Amino acid sequence: MPGENKVAKLSDITKVIKDGDRVAVGGSWLGSHPMAIIREIIRSKIKNLTAITVVGSIDIDMLIGAGCLSRLMFSFVSMEAFGLAPNFRRAIEKEGLPYDEITGLAVIIGLEAGGRNIPFLPYRGPFGSDLVKYRPEFYKNIKCPFTGEELIAAAAIVPDVAIIHATRADHAGNVQIEGTSGTDIEMMRAAKKRIVSVEEIVTEEEVRKNPEKTKIPKFQVDMIIEAPLGAHPCSCAPDYVFDPWHIMKYMQAATSPETFKQYLDEYVMKPEFEYLEAIGGMRQATVLRRLAREVKFL
Amino acid sequence: MTQYAKDYSVGELMCVTLAKEIEDGDVVVLGSFTPLAYASYILAKITHAPNITLLAYASVDTRPFQLSFTRAEAAATRGAALMWTMLEDLNSVHLKGRGDVEAISSIQADQYGNINLSVIGEYDTPKLRGPGGAGAPEVIKMHRKMIGYFPSHTTRTFVPKVDVITGTRYVIGAEERVKAGYRPGPIRYITNLAVISKEEKDKPFKIDSLHPGVSVEQVVENTGFELEVPRDIPETEKPTAEQVRLLREEVDPYGTIAFDFKPGKERLEYLNEILQKELESIGY
Repeated sequence: MPGENKVAKLSDITKVIKDGDRVAVGGSWLGSHPMAIIREIIRSKIKNLTAITVVGSIDIDMLIGAGCLSRLMFSFVSMEAFGLAPNFRRAIEKEGLPYDEITGLAVIIGLEAGGRNIPFLPYRGPFGSDLVKYRPEFYKNIKCPFTGEELIAAAAIVPDVAIIHATRADHAGNVQIEGTSGTDIEMMRAAKKRIVSVEEIVTEEEVRKNPEKTKIPKFQVDMIIEAPLGAHPCSCAPDYVFDPWHIMKYMQAATSPETFKQYLDEYVMKPEFEYLEAIGGMRQATVLRRLAREVKFL
Repeated sequence: MTQYAKDYSVGELMCVTLAKEIEDGDVVVLGSFTPLAYASYILAKITHAPNITLLAYASVDTRPFQLSFTRAEAAATRGAALMWTMLEDLNSVHLKGRGDVEAISSIQADQYGNINLSVIGEYDTPKLRGPGGAGAPEVIKMHRKMIGYFPSHTTRTFVPKVDVITGTRYVIGAEERVKAGYRPGPIRYITNLAVISKEEKDKPFKIDSLHPGVSVEQVVENTGFELEVPRDIPETEKPTAEQVRLLREEVDPYGTIAFDFKPGKERLEYLNEILQKELESIGY
């Protein structure tokens, strides 16, 4: 009897992600963002999305620059040592992109509430922060029903779709993560639909050899896509580091809408299998993998 | 007798000063990748504080690793004793008040212990949209100490009142902190000029120490709010020759600490130099 099979092509994401969806984007800092899926969203011209991120970077900046977002919920969007995120800044400062800046723990706790199927979760939150005042639809000051202590309630976040990138999965959708999981697991629990791109699809036997590496069970996954180097130009720890040379190129391109469009034409608006060649092929992939391997402890 | 370094950069001085904030046994969280803070924690771990627990990216109790521009995440992951999701991290460390140090930086900081990583100007129509606070609004409240580092001590950074309060240390004072399950502790800012700190909600920031060659006037002029100026202000202890050697040869041989101090234009060129050295290190 053939086993369950959720493996799909990258272009199949349009069956799941629709115009206007609230999409939780996995990965954190410059790590493990589902960049192959991000590029496919741009290629497929999916629009009016609300992106939800905890610590986003080039994933969010690229979606904004390509005009895919009509709203953004985030706690942090930055290109880290490379500087502030150029499209993100331009869209908010010049074009009035509506946004909800929510404190980091509140987004995570909100996702956890979504995953637990409850409307909010209380915590000893960021009292005194203006962000609490600006977004009453997300934060409420509440009193503990037992002790009367003042707490902050973070509203549940239930994304329509969660997209993440992971190390490997079997055909049924049991997902292994070896590196930085960030909030990927919470996003998958909270979302209504879930797409996972992975470095490799392996047999069920392979997954069962190391069950402790499996972080997401198949019933929380709707679609699995094989995308080697699918987080590029971000890292997928501990397999490869982020690509600083490509990110420098990106930063340069993103300084104006015109040059950014050229970037999209050159790297994104072509089939994904041509992307690896465009960024330097196997040689570049080898450099990024070697860097990730050759670390030194003191 | 302690042998101090004859030649050191302000970045190295800040790094060593930040390392002194770490006490052995502390739980130290490495947030976004900032070379100066990472180098401080690793230096602390290989010198006076070998028993600290480092949390970096998803790793818990990672081994001290050599810094580079591209490899911090890979090294932290490969050296981990345990891997956590962010939720496990905040459930175990932040919410429980178990964190000791997680240094932050911000666009603006004011006399009340507020920080601004959000916007300059109005929230909806900002002049400058900053990166956002990430976990900082919670971190600075929950951890034992609030430590900040500022490579550029100016009146643009240290303002009377921040444009937007992304987060604040104080709504409650020391006594209420204890009741809420947190530990009392100061705010301490390490800058390129001095160390300033605020011990309690209702007390002003005061100058703890001046970096060698920096005057009281310089610090006062570059701070946009009133500082308490004690009569005798010590000089910030210089890095020792051994600390500088460790930083340059072991912790940060690629020179990533200096990155934060390069002006905009030189940054890219400097980054290319670092990356060239990294390529050479893997035989390219």
